[in-house]
Amino acid sequence: MAEIAEEMVQQQSPDPTTGDVEIQNYTINFGPQHPAAHGVLRLVMELDGEIVERVDPHIGLLHRGTEKLIEYKTYAQALPYMDRLDYCSPLCMEHSFVLAVEKLLDLEVPLRAQYLRVFFAELTRISNHMLNLGSHVMDVGAMTPNLWMFEIREDCMNFFERASGARMHSNYFRVGGVHQDVPLKLLTDIGDWLDTRLPKLFGDAISLVAENRIFKQRNVDIAVVSRDDAIKWGFSGPMIRAAGIPWDIRKSQPYDVYDRMDFEIPVGTNGDCYDRFMVRVEEVYQSARIMKQCLAEMPEGPIMTMDRKVGPPKRGEMKHSMEALIHHFKLYTEGYHVPEGEVYVATEAPKGEFGIYMVSDGSNKPYRCKIRPTAFSHLQAMDFMSKGHMLADTTAILGAMDIVFGECDR
Amino acid sequence: MGVELTAPPEGKLPDQQFFNDLNGELTDKGFLVTSTEELFQWARTGSLWWMTFGLACCAVEMIHVNMPRYDMERFGAAPRASPRQSDVMIVAGTLCNKMAPALRRVYDQMSEPKYVISMGSCANGGGYYHYSYSVVRGCDRIVPVDIYVPGCPPTAEALLYGVMQLQRKIRRAGTIER
Amino acid sequence: MRAPAPKFADNDGVIETARSALGNRLFDAVERVGEVQLHVTRDGLVDTMVALRDTPGLEYQQLMEIAGVDYPERDERFEVVYCLLSLTRNHRLHVHVRTDEERPVPSVTGIWPVAGWLEREVYDMYGVLFDGNPDLRRILTDYGFRGHPQRKDFPLTGYVELRYSEEAKRVVYEPVELAQDFRTFDFMSPWEGAKYVLPGDEKAGGAEPEAKGAPSPVTAEEQKKADDAKVEPKATEPKTTERPEQTGAGKDDPGNQPKDKPKDPDVVPTKQGGQDE
Repeated sequence: MAEIAEEMVQQQSPDPTTGDVEIQNYTINFGPQHPAAHGVLRLVMELDGEIVERVDPHIGLLHRGTEKLIEYKTYAQALPYMDRLDYCSPLCMEHSFVLAVEKLLDLEVPLRAQYLRVFFAELTRISNHMLNLGSHVMDVGAMTPNLWMFEIREDCMNFFERASGARMHSNYFRVGGVHQDVPLKLLTDIGDWLDTRLPKLFGDAISLVAENRIFKQRNVDIAVVSRDDAIKWGFSGPMIRAAGIPWDIRKSQPYDVYDRMDFEIPVGTNGDCYDRFMVRVEEVYQSARIMKQCLAEMPEGPIMTMDRKVGPPKRGEMKHSMEALIHHFKLYTEGYHVPEGEVYVATEAPKGEFGIYMVSDGSNKPYRCKIRPTAFSHLQAMDFMSKGHMLADTTAILGAMDIVFGECDR
Repeated sequence: MGVELTAPPEGKLPDQQFFNDLNGELTDKGFLVTSTEELFQWARTGSLWWMTFGLACCAVEMIHVNMPRYDMERFGAAPRASPRQSDVMIVAGTLCNKMAPALRRVYDQMSEPKYVISMGSCANGGGYYHYSYSVVRGCDRIVPVDIYVPGCPPTAEALLYGVMQLQRKIRRAGTIER
Repeated sequence: MRAPAPKFADNDGVIETARSALGNRLFDAVERVGEVQLHVTRDGLVDTMVALRDTPGLEYQQLMEIAGVDYPERDERFEVVYCLLSLTRNHRLHVHVRTDEERPVPSVTGIWPVAGWLEREVYDMYGVLFDGNPDLRRILTDYGFRGHPQRKDFPLTGYVELRYSEEAKRVVYEPVELAQDFRTFDFMSPWEGAKYVLPGDEKAGGAEPEAKGAPSPVTAEEQKKADDAKVEPKATEPKTTERPEQTGAGKDDPGNQPKDKPKDPDVVPTKQGGQDE
């Protein structure tokens, strides 16, 4: 008995009277099934009391082997996989893919198709930010803005459905243009929506949190990232802009008709979670601005390339022309052959730089299609961003990162 | 835009006499008489709390069905984050090999009676990812499924219909023990 | 360039600047499809990357992506591609390094910490080793996964699949068994380079299809000589069909035995007709 008592005394640190006991760090497991994890993230966290010491994100719980599957499909069959990567902003994922294939083919795209792509990519950006901003405020405790912003998202979904037939996975952008022309009524409806419903609902929702004391306490000065860190850790999109670097691929490396658009890039000053939130808020307004310009400037004309070796013929044409019928059959069985080469094409997806590194060997299937997910580098920085913060702050950090596991795990 | 509310056409209205009788009985006597089976079914179908098992794309539609426009809570189906409190699990999205043990563990933690709705092609049978090396070809290999909702992803209405089908299934079963 | 792909700064002079900065560590530099590819040696990769980051006129501050590519026919079958981005010069570039299963590539985590996970992913997908990465674990595939799925010789459907076993009360791994095989077609015309023998053509060309420019088929004389050279095996027993194995039908389909059918744990006898009544 005496020995045990002696051992107990030894275990307690210097002064037993003050209660200054050494507390060991303990490890908790966050996820993979957790409502604030935005999907299937598993975080193994080492905590010192409430303070986060180390975070080890375990990803791959949604690893679906997309890159391997793409190698076994023709280019047209592989395109819908893009929708399912980042399922919050499907059209922006397609954008990188079609631009990469077009670059390899050196294919000209009609102007109206380029305008339509930019237009719907920006609508996607709005709908993505609605989901992210809504879930971010919900993670830090506010409920109402989320409900209102989902109303906007529901409107966006209706527009996608009217343009392409599907609410989420549109498969609307095609190599050489877009799948279908849009009816004029849809464009005027979206124009009305941009003028009336979007600013009202969104402004109301943001007014509840932007200046809110509790919201600021949960976000300001949380996970401050310096400019140097943002560059070293490969940040992109709103994450690098919030750190104070005015870098936007739409502006600096314009694709489609972004060089004709007049818009501004919001930049953060502190690089904390609040800045990331506000950068996204401003981006929504800038997206609406781009969309209005598209509506004003969009020319009439074809929406698909006239190159019959890539763009399928219209159904009506197929009823008259044998040539068109043959082309249709060849395109939907064998597909088109893409010349040899390798490209890395990155576009500004709502979450950051989304790139496709594509290697073609001249056949009708990609030899290699490496997807550069936006979330990968951001989530990797989770460790140093949450170090020293409280456990409850990790949800705010995660929310401000805007992570979707479909593209992170692929 | 928005939702247009229209009254049902004449002759399609619910039978008002039934509600009047019920109301009269309740105000007259102060209680209602029913069988225990019907009572249990009423309770079971009326508060199907579901476990949010959002895995992939379908999770977004699953959130949409809860949001104001579709508002699944009017059918008594409310989202719960804890398996201990929920009656039905909606498997929304691609189930991958790495996630499958976690799915089973969550299912095992749910209390009886428990139901599973498999949402979307990936959960139903692998769908677009059927031939992948890392995808479970249907979540019914891991948990028993009651309702399959097809689509990629199913629209919010489709999921709502699936939940109503599950309510119908529970009503039809009509036993106390499951 | 006619395609509406992202337009970054000109490639003019990039290769020359890189050549002078890297010396003989750069063994090939090409510009294709409007993008510059630098092929560098594996040794001294870290110095190469530092030079690319710090030399004025190059200034590639950000590492955006590390992609692996598998070319099984090459000696050093893997190519590791680093996609670099210069924020100040607004330019992109790929750096290619070759390796195989055994020889490690120097890790660049010291220059860009973001490389940590990117290298882990290439390791997971291809089995390329990175020397100096402090945390080279698998990242995307399942816990306890075997093989490297992005290699060209790894089958698309893998080797194992999952099932919940009611007996073991846990999720178990089983060899993969598909109800229907993956339908894949090659669209090569049989006249040019198809890599298989068409049904019915087995005698014409043998197992190997003839390459373009191959010598013309053997003459009748040569054929006869070859046939005479073969010794016919003598039949050891008369051809009768008394036992089932002599019919030529072979054994029963091994996949069709009752004992081989998977036991479905979900099918349990229900009580009083079950809930579907």
